[in-house]
Amino acid sequence: MLISCNRLKNYIKDSANIDFLTIWDKFSLMTAEVEGVNVKGKDVDGVVVAQILECEPVENSKKLHKLLVDNGKEKLQIICGAPNVRVGLKAPLVNVGGHVCGIKITTRKLAGLESFGMMCSAEELGFAEGCEGILELPDDFEVGRDIKDYLPLEDIIVEIDNKSLTNRPDLWGHYGIAREIAAITSHELLPLDLLNIKNDKEDLDIKIKNPLCLRYTGLKIANISKNETPLDMQIFLYYTGMRSISLIVDLTNFLMLELGQPMHAFDARKVDSIEIDTAKAKDEFITLDNEKRILNSNTLMIKKNNDYFAIAGVMGGLDSEILEDTTSIILESATFDAASIRRTATYLGLRTEASARYEKSLDPNMTITAIKRLAYLLKKFDPNIKMASNITDVYPKELKEKQVILKKATLKKYMNIDIESDFIIKTLNSLGFKVKDQKETFKITVPTFRATKDISIEADIVEEIARMYGYENIRLEPLKLELSFKELENTQEKEYEVKRLLATKFNLNEVHSYLWYKTNLLNKTKINKENIKLLGKNEDNILRDDLGLTLIDMANNNLKYYNNVGIFEIGTEFIDGENRRALSIVLADSYKKQEKLFYALKEIIITIFKTFYNCPVSFVKSKSFDYYNENLTFDIYAQNQNLGFITSLKANVASSISKKKSFLVLKIDFDKYEKLKKEDFLYQNVSKYPTVTLDYTILMAKDKKYEVIKNALEEFKSPIIKDVIYIDRYMGEKENKYTIRYVVGSDDATLTSEELQDFKNKFINHIKKSGLSIIE
Amino acid sequence: MQEELKKIVSNAINEIKEAKKENDLLNIKSKYLGKKSKLAELMSNLKSMSIEEKKKYGSLFNKIKKDLESKVNERITEVNVTKDIDFDDTLPVEAKLGSLHPVTIVAKEVTDILKRMGFSVVSGPEMEEEYFNFVALNIPDDHPARDMQDTYYLDNGKLLRTHTSPNQVHAMQKYGAPIRMCAPGRCFRNEDLDASHENTFFQVEGMVIDKNISIGNLMYTMKELLSAIFERDVDVRVRPGFFPFVEPGVEIDCSCLICGGKGCPTCKNSGWIELCPGGMIHPNVLKESGIDPEVYNGFAFGLGITRLAMMKYKIDDIRVLNSGDLRVLDKFNVE
Repeated sequence: MLISCNRLKNYIKDSANIDFLTIWDKFSLMTAEVEGVNVKGKDVDGVVVAQILECEPVENSKKLHKLLVDNGKEKLQIICGAPNVRVGLKAPLVNVGGHVCGIKITTRKLAGLESFGMMCSAEELGFAEGCEGILELPDDFEVGRDIKDYLPLEDIIVEIDNKSLTNRPDLWGHYGIAREIAAITSHELLPLDLLNIKNDKEDLDIKIKNPLCLRYTGLKIANISKNETPLDMQIFLYYTGMRSISLIVDLTNFLMLELGQPMHAFDARKVDSIEIDTAKAKDEFITLDNEKRILNSNTLMIKKNNDYFAIAGVMGGLDSEILEDTTSIILESATFDAASIRRTATYLGLRTEASARYEKSLDPNMTITAIKRLAYLLKKFDPNIKMASNITDVYPKELKEKQVILKKATLKKYMNIDIESDFIIKTLNSLGFKVKDQKETFKITVPTFRATKDISIEADIVEEIARMYGYENIRLEPLKLELSFKELENTQEKEYEVKRLLATKFNLNEVHSYLWYKTNLLNKTKINKENIKLLGKNEDNILRDDLGLTLIDMANNNLKYYNNVGIFEIGTEFIDGENRRALSIVLADSYKKQEKLFYALKEIIITIFKTFYNCPVSFVKSKSFDYYNENLTFDIYAQNQNLGFITSLKANVASSISKKKSFLVLKIDFDKYEKLKKEDFLYQNVSKYPTVTLDYTILMAKDKKYEVIKNALEEFKSPIIKDVIYIDRYMGEKENKYTIRYVVGSDDATLTSEELQDFKNKFINHIKKSGLSIIE
Repeated sequence: MQEELKKIVSNAINEIKEAKKENDLLNIKSKYLGKKSKLAELMSNLKSMSIEEKKKYGSLFNKIKKDLESKVNERITEVNVTKDIDFDDTLPVEAKLGSLHPVTIVAKEVTDILKRMGFSVVSGPEMEEEYFNFVALNIPDDHPARDMQDTYYLDNGKLLRTHTSPNQVHAMQKYGAPIRMCAPGRCFRNEDLDASHENTFFQVEGMVIDKNISIGNLMYTMKELLSAIFERDVDVRVRPGFFPFVEPGVEIDCSCLICGGKGCPTCKNSGWIELCPGGMIHPNVLKESGIDPEVYNGFAFGLGITRLAMMKYKIDDIRVLNSGDLRVLDKFNVE
């Protein structure tokens, strides 16, 4: 929101004592965020009121006129292209050496004739756009006077962040901002001049038929003859982001900018009575921006029977708009339910200055003030106007001032400092609160302009005092030390230690991905996913139930730059409507490396469980999503729980995203994983007697798996076995050779050569009996 | 004779030093200590000496013999060892290491600091109920605050949490008061992506509830926390800010890290950078979470981890963080 400091000065007594350039730093610290402070009008100088004495067209030019102009000191020849030049007209003249629009005006030749200065428009003076002629000044402006003596071109315009005002409906107008500035600087806020209107005429016909309208105040004004808005108001409107349209419309906008109260004026020829009710669904209505709007049954309307005049709190209709020949108006000053206005504005996609204010819950007690204020200003500019009705006020449920009790102990708790009662009372008074000191408490009456939603409890009052006291004056206070630092949860710790292991021991890279599947990926791979969807999105809108698939996509993108990729993430999956934490690892490499990747992944899993839980892991053949290779899918078991799976992307699916690549996938259910118990490590005595290491090479047909050997080894029992270790595999043409190492020994004595020989014989026999051959 | 001995010894030592091979050293040994050596010749003169001279020179000869022998042996070891490391020691070495995500690194740093300050780290769900994301946080239907956060609503009636603040309610309901907790996590807002906007980003929520918690406690904690994060003494200031779940609500600014508060382009000459929202927990939130606001009060704050990571690593495009592009992410290592 843009704030004019010139305007603020009108509302504050002795405002000359306030530095309006620097006060905004304090305002930022005490009230709301200031986004910028812009000085206006400093780039205009050397502009005076001038009068055209002679005016004749320039030969051979369609537009140019040769003027003789009186600038108060001398009579100058000016060549001017504006269409509205005429003898007797008073207009601003930039003297030679003066500035507008950042340009220095010099004597220059136009169409061969010298021009000693430039007549200028409102646009060149910086308060209008798209002007077609020079600015026409009123006759009572004295020739030769500096234009700034009449026009408030110099101003300080302050931009306040709207977001920081969402809870302060009272700050959506200059008067509310002035109240804050007055309070911050200990100045007095002046009352507004209002027109006293006698209620000796007839009431308007106004009916509230829906409680979403909280208050509707109307007034009919007739005999309006003026249409031109005074220049100073035009400048104000322009500087604060509006455009001057006509006197009545400008006044309604001015009131909105002054008090925060949106107002509307209907042409009384079109509107003579008013009811406020919701629309009929699918009805159409043309708003004054000439757009057709389709209404719904929640849209609150200003209407009469089936005629709609305005969308309440959002925008008026084209039909009842003020026209140039309008002489009689019905003024609306109303309050509507904030949520209803917000819904309507959202539904229609139509955010207006009015709806933005109504959404903030405006004070309904402002409507009469606003109407009297508008009437006062209009009468000032157009003294012949007549009040053609009573101020007609329909206000079903009056909003009363609220009482809040502030305990002094509460204030002390929050502030940790004793604040003088005088300061509290003075501060709250200056913000419009009434305060009664009652020993242990303050009884505080909240003005209705703060009571619509902003202030309702003790803590709200604490904020008022704290901000005006100045947060920078609050003493920093360490928290009291606790004796117990017991952790409530260790999820983050568990996640971090695994991540660290994966990055440091296995050189994997952690990535972060989105919670939803990329539609593009699903299409390319022809994978069909049904899961929770994001509303209002047609693409990338299915939440993932398999983090692994997301990571496959990411790994694949990286295969453009790397031969092999190993990435992981701990993230959320959505399974059966629930959040599930999952650790997923994807290893990608050329298809030939599939076996290598598979074992690498197994090693990672075993290492994780050994490191953090000191427990073994087993793998059980299983099934997973249909895009994974069933033959390579194994559930992971530890401590008798299924903790996830390892698998591989089916070759045909993989080839749809990358040629001849293999993607190995691991998933661990982290919710289960983090609840496992670490198994104790028990001290084991090392035998005093030497052990013997025996290496055997077992041969097996190529079509058989190691599992056969493993089973054979497990069947072979002997009390002197200390350890059995798989060492290596050599791939032959017909047979594979497996090297197995036995470590044998006894805790009681050194093995005799007979014992050793006996072991060897028995083992070799066992292997042969198992249908395998062994190199002796 | 002493002069002569000295000369022999010094010659021998020089030759031992110069020698490069074991064989040469063995030759030096026989040259100086062998039967035909000068030393042996001098020793043979012992016989004709007086008893006192015999004593004196006898032990001297022995000492010289021993010294030279051990010098030769030492040098032999030396030349042999030099031969052992006769390889190219200039080949490059690659320290293979994976990487953690920058957000993980920064989240860990921040939570480690908070842990030292007595905060427990907790977590909560990313798919959240409207109740926890809005209602329990004093953000009722149609509250303009819901305007500020463009929410990802889901077709099951839930939503993706728009902030980590629901963790305040979860933690209070689960653990009660008093409590000190922080909750790092992903948040989601329906934003169009560009260099500074992401729909998925990280925050860390911080919350303290106890008896007699003051605004000064919040300010002190933030100053300590931010000073520790930025590894320098920073100033904090707070300004009014509106967030429905805190009252008073504040914006917490930190003295500009570039200029230290003097004013520069980074801080738009204000000397301050806006860092995080916070405030005293709204009594309605305490009540909703089963805590009596007459007995307990507290503060909360929400710090943008993604933003901190971008500041720390000078990342100028937020999109790289969720891109999975290892050409960028691989650089981050582990700490």
